Amino acid sequence: MLRRLLIIPLSMLVVISVAFVLVELMPGDPATSVAGNFASEEVIASIRAELGLDQPFLQRYLSYVGDTARLDLGRSFRSNESVLSEIGRTLPATIELVVMSIGFAMILGIAVGVYGAYHARRKREVVARGFIISFQSVPEFILGLLLIYVVFFVAGLAPAPVGRLSIGSPKPESVTGFLLVDSVLTLNWSQLWDALRHSILPVATLGTVTASAFAKTAHSSVGLAMRSPQVEFARACGLSERTVVGYALVMARTTILTYGAILFGALISGAAILEQIFSWGGIGRWALQAILNLDVPAIQGFVIVFGLLTMLIYLLLDIAVVMLDPRVSYD
Amino acid sequence: MTEREAAAIPGDIRAQIRRISVILRVPELAIGVFGLAVLLLAGFFLPLPYDPIEPNPSVMMQPPSGSHWFGTDMLGFDVFSRTIASASRDIPLAAIGTIVAMAIGVPLGLLASSKGKSGERIMRALDAFQAFPLLILGIAVVTLMGNRIENVVVAIVLINTPRFMRLVRAEALSLRESRFVEAARAMGASNRRILFRHLLPNVTDISLVQFSLSAARALIVIASLGFLGIGVSPPDPSWGLMLQAGARNISSGQWWLSMFPGLAIVAAVISFNLLADGLQKVFSGRSL
Repeated sequence: MLRRLLIIPLSMLVVISVAFVLVELMPGDPATSVAGNFASEEVIASIRAELGLDQPFLQRYLSYVGDTARLDLGRSFRSNESVLSEIGRTLPATIELVVMSIGFAMILGIAVGVYGAYHARRKREVVARGFIISFQSVPEFILGLLLIYVVFFVAGLAPAPVGRLSIGSPKPESVTGFLLVDSVLTLNWSQLWDALRHSILPVATLGTVTASAFAKTAHSSVGLAMRSPQVEFARACGLSERTVVGYALVMARTTILTYGAILFGALISGAAILEQIFSWGGIGRWALQAILNLDVPAIQGFVIVFGLLTMLIYLLLDIAVVMLDPRVSYD
Repeated sequence: MTEREAAAIPGDIRAQIRRISVILRVPELAIGVFGLAVLLLAGFFLPLPYDPIEPNPSVMMQPPSGSHWFGTDMLGFDVFSRTIASASRDIPLAAIGTIVAMAIGVPLGLLASSKGKSGERIMRALDAFQAFPLLILGIAVVTLMGNRIENVVVAIVLINTPRFMRLVRAEALSLRESRFVEAARAMGASNRRILFRHLLPNVTDISLVQFSLSAARALIVIASLGFLGIGVSPPDPSWGLMLQAGARNISSGQWWLSMFPGLAIVAAVISFNLLADGLQKVFSGRSL
């Protein structure tokens, strides 16, 4: 486990290097592309200085790594705010969206997967297969648009996709930055209710699409467990079917968990586009805006923060797998 | 022609028929092939009622009707013509990107299966790479490298190559334990010969299945890029671009702008996914 921790600084260096190299991908003079063709000489020169393009490659790289290690991610070209504080402002909204969606996805996905695995090679398995193949094939944003049309426009059951709160609601008091948590902490129940109502469609969309991935893994891994001698023995002992399925699920849990971690990236990508549709002020939307505006420090900041988050999730996964499955060891 | 040869020809034809009937017997395969064929043939050859890149300002925002089956958008483009025309751009683009990813990922996966410890580490790194929001990285790469269609291929390669590597490596590792590899090694075959003569042919099946799955994924990537206005130049027909226009108008009820291209994407993606399922069935049936 100690060796596992020692790799982290090394991987962090790789992530920082990837973020650094992104600027090198830009054809021609990056400062000119960022400023646009009609920018004045001074603007281009200031951007060049900001990106350090007037220095030799190696020196630029070393100073970039140094700055990043001191948590200085630079200033956004667009807003001239510190990238770190912009990330701090937008990340909580995305975390709330992702956590709610993953909760929804795990419950729905595992239920569908186990249902399919339990009824393997029987008619009812078709239900699970159909669910998996249809929602695996629907991009998040198409399902999102469909739900907006049906649930908001036709049925009027959900609020308009205008953000996390209704237009005209007072600015939420910020304690932790997490809107739902803050609503509870400030005992603002009407705000909590409004925020929850605005979460229905984004969470249902992202959750359902993600559920298909969970269902697929649960279907195959629980299916494998259902055919194992262990399950046969449990049945021979006369345990109830419910208990037997419970045992099969326990056997499959590390596989499902590992797959959940791999899904993290897809979930963030999906969230980014949904945030765009639902005007959800999260980091995904912020990153997409930064990319479309060639806001280089912000793009680099996003890559670094998510590189770090990805590593953190993998570390937690490794720890969880060791705790759940005593057969696994990393030493 | 000898008697034996004459008898062999009907046998060949029979084998052909058997091969075709395999396609029909596996419904997933049949539906997948049919869906893709219809979309591609329509995209390339169907005479369109209106020019997909020529707007007609006198018919803006019309709901579906007899003259405009799928309605028109806010610039007066005919949604039906554009939905069909997009198939001839988006599906081949997805296929090309995935072929490049396969051409890179399969050999790399085979190579990563050769040495024990370092291969393990490469795969761990790859896992972490895949857990990163690759779609966003792809979007960043396309935007930074220049908003061109070739760079869309780069983004697809970036997203799909790790899948091929992981899959091929896992399969190659188990194949390495088998008798025929042992026999080849005993006969003095070099590592390279084992990789490309013995292992490569045996990972073709799963690579084809993965190709189909990855092409489905690539279609979604292209649609996402187009949705953000990346990798397409506006009058060109592209499902993603049409959805972008649709998203702006969905809250006011103009459903036809997004639902028809949306259905087309879903149909194409489902076809690729069904094709993968069907191929899997055919291959696993053959190996049994």
